[in-house]
Amino acid sequence: MEKLSADQKEAGSFRDPSGFLFYRNGALFRQVNLSYKEDYDCLIRSGLYQKLAERGLLIPHEETEEKGLQGPVYKVMRPEQIAFISYPFEWGFSQLKDAALLTLEVQKTALEHKMSLKDANAFNIQFRTGRPVLIDTLSFKTYEEGRPWVAYRQFCQHFLAPLALMSYRDIRLNQLGRVYLDGIPLDLASRLLPWRSRLDFGLLIHLHLHARSQQRFADRPIKEETGKFSRLAFLGLIESLEKAVRRLNWKPGRTEWGDYYQATNYSEPAFEHKKDLVADFLSQAKPASVWDLGANTGFFSRISGERGIPTVAWDIDPLAVEKNYLECRGRAEKNVLPLLLDLGNPTPALGWGHEERRSFAQRGPADLVLALALVHHLAISNHLPLERIAGFFARLSRFLVIEFVPKSDSQVKRLFLSRDDIFPHYDRASFEAAFSRYFAIEKAAPVRQSERILYLMRTLQTPLL
Amino acid sequence: MKWFVIAYLDPGSGSYLLQLLIAGLLAASFTVKSFWRNLAGFFTRLFSKNRRDGKTLG
Repeated sequence: MEKLSADQKEAGSFRDPSGFLFYRNGALFRQVNLSYKEDYDCLIRSGLYQKLAERGLLIPHEETEEKGLQGPVYKVMRPEQIAFISYPFEWGFSQLKDAALLTLEVQKTALEHKMSLKDANAFNIQFRTGRPVLIDTLSFKTYEEGRPWVAYRQFCQHFLAPLALMSYRDIRLNQLGRVYLDGIPLDLASRLLPWRSRLDFGLLIHLHLHARSQQRFADRPIKEETGKFSRLAFLGLIESLEKAVRRLNWKPGRTEWGDYYQATNYSEPAFEHKKDLVADFLSQAKPASVWDLGANTGFFSRISGERGIPTVAWDIDPLAVEKNYLECRGRAEKNVLPLLLDLGNPTPALGWGHEERRSFAQRGPADLVLALALVHHLAISNHLPLERIAGFFARLSRFLVIEFVPKSDSQVKRLFLSRDDIFPHYDRASFEAAFSRYFAIEKAAPVRQSERILYLMRTLQTPLL
Repeated sequence: MKWFVIAYLDPGSGSYLLQLLIAGLLAASFTVKSFWRNLAGFFTRLFSKNRRDGKTLG
């Protein structure tokens, strides 16, 4: 995570008048404004905070004696910091589903303590030691019986609509979240969903009728006489949303990379040797954080994760990310975070002033980047000059473990089945020359029983961002 | 006539009114399900208690 200088407000934290995040001397703090005093006290005194934090549903924090940054301040707290901030359109299907269920669980627990979530923003959920957690401690307000859920629209836009689209239409539609930062408009979701989605009672009500209701009653003022929403109705709403979310599943077909390890050309000894080399290079570099680019289902990410290093396992294939997450969840892995990324078009800076959500590169650099069996895809499939690959990797990392896959390798030959060889400079000498502009080559080890070479490099210069 | 003061987040008129429209349905559905859950819970507890007692006696 980018370290900011003293006393700087987090650019994405400005919507909620209850408080905001700021950085002081590299540490992250949350200011609670005086206007939020009553609700904050209720959160603490009702026992809701303790219950949620103990169950791992809400990020823990400690109250500090720090001075506030601006405006009437009630408290300054220091939340536990998340190892890596990810965005919902970078998550796989089950990650988004788990985040949705977490939000509803938090809301149910809040109601037991006479409080309610005042927003249901998917960006407020992050992955901490492998499990989703709500990071916005100021999302609660005192529950007033009779009123519907203020965050109902937001929940449907941020969670239910993308999950339904991914489940019923196409897994790639979660990328709509990159365009619609406040969730997918329900009229759009309703139009894109197949007719059979109306046969699911939850989707019929919460997406299709909801979209119609939004169109029909747009801008109609709400008066107190309009009606009451009892506590039972509120509980029924949360239960109905939970049921609708639970019923959504993704049954993947075969995708590009999902069976990569089965389709690889590595012999058993070569694979074992590569594994040993990666472990050896990690021992030498001793990184505090790792990004595994092109991680597939995370086999090599796990070598790093098992050493207690927070590791982000990036991959372009939704099936690989899904398999990786399900394996992490099944094994209760704490250090590997699978995320979706097209390295050829990585997440840009988004939102107001390009400052609300950070780009892929702005969330680095990582201490070490793993780029295994990747460079041939970038250089040949994406036509990227080796020097530009080296330049970008130097912005992302302090150490680089990279595998060079020569033209004689059967995986590269496969790439040439459907294209001309217009890459006369794709060879070991050109590769080393290009990377030497930005990196010092510390180690170069041929992988046994293969034609590949694994390098450990140290960044010499970081090109300007 | 009083207006609802809601929150910093605009809930959307359509989203708000839809909840009011389906309130009865949601409340009834929750009540029925709770009844069945409680009933099932009662019998589960009853039988598990009997089993525990049986084991103790045995």
